Amino acid sequence: MTEAIRKLFAVMPFLFGIGFIAPLTAQLMAYWGVDAPLGLSRITFGLIFGGAWGLYANIKGRWL
Amino acid sequence: MTDGPVKEDSLVEAELLVEAEVIERNSIEVPGIIPAEDGPVIGLAGDDTLDKHLRREMMKEERAIAMQFHGGATWVYAALTVTCFAIWVSLFPLAILGYLGPVGLTLGFLFSTFCAAYGFIPSHEAMHSNIYPRGHKLYWVNELTGHLSTIPIALGFGVARLTHMEHHKYTNDPQLDPDYTDGAPNWWQAILKTWWNRQPGVEGSVHRYKKMMIDMDTPASRKAAMQTTILQLVMLGTFFGMAWSGYAIEVAVLWWLPRQVGLSWIRYWLSWAPHHPQERGRYKNTRIFRARLGYWASMAMEYHLIHHLYPGIPNHRQKEAYHALKDVLRRQGVDVSAH
Repeated sequence: MTEAIRKLFAVMPFLFGIGFIAPLTAQLMAYWGVDAPLGLSRITFGLIFGGAWGLYANIKGRWL
Repeated sequence: MTDGPVKEDSLVEAELLVEAEVIERNSIEVPGIIPAEDGPVIGLAGDDTLDKHLRREMMKEERAIAMQFHGGATWVYAALTVTCFAIWVSLFPLAILGYLGPVGLTLGFLFSTFCAAYGFIPSHEAMHSNIYPRGHKLYWVNELTGHLSTIPIALGFGVARLTHMEHHKYTNDPQLDPDYTDGAPNWWQAILKTWWNRQPGVEGSVHRYKKMMIDMDTPASRKAAMQTTILQLVMLGTFFGMAWSGYAIEVAVLWWLPRQVGLSWIRYWLSWAPHHPQERGRYKNTRIFRARLGYWASMAMEYHLIHHLYPGIPNHRQKEAYHALKDVLRRQGVDVSAH
């Protein structure tokens, strides 16, 4: 249990990217009337953007 | 986590140990109160015994004054915490139900930021059992206040209390002070550091707290770490769920952004500003300073030295206590020029 939680927190930046940044990106785009590029839906774009950013934070250990 | 008092024995022991050490440092009865590395307070021509005698007398005077400022209307901390927490929680269903428009969300952001930052003050009082002391029939109110007030920043009260006790024991020790990583050469780098320390791969802030819980490896630290873990999982799960249900902007405005601002505010005013430049010693590890933003914006931390000398003096009485103690503190070598 403890090990599972530790592993969960180890990938938390990625999960944060998927769980929060992705829908936030999509909803902000909708709020400001911005379409996603390449014919993607806003949430697909949000998942790519949020997932990639979270993965970057996971690997680099920082968000910027 | 919000179900009243937590009275695990090891936590009690940890706190009592710290309190005993603080009392020992402050006591006029214990011969070892004068740190061996200290030099004379004033340039006395007499021998060391005379200097120690004078210093002990000053300590006696200091302690007698300080004792007058313990206690007071500390129930206000609890009342404000419960009220603010209830309003803070209600913001989320109100947002989901559509009662908060742009103006409501803006006000909600300001209020939530206030709760995140200033909630640490009642939490801090609860850490020292200043709201109601251990053994008091209302001690559970003290514990409830502590648990509720750190929820907006997603930090378990147990971790906050244990690490804060370590901070008092080892103030400005690079290895043992949990808050040492907030050190920075100037104010703008200190602000950046508050953000930097929250990065996933940097050992600072809550990350350092969690590591210290593991290193302590006591029943209390394990329980505290688990409380924080559960709190964070529940909060993240709730907010992820809200975000995916179409309320991500609301979550960002009412929780995520306020938490970021609040944590930086706390780290800057409670950790960096009063302890800069991180010297060590009873009268050196904190300082009396004048905040450009004033007394209230700095969370009353201009008089943080008083808190480290006498943790039992509640936040709202530290200013008053400082002015009563000012003369004796000046004689103890404290720079009292700021106020």
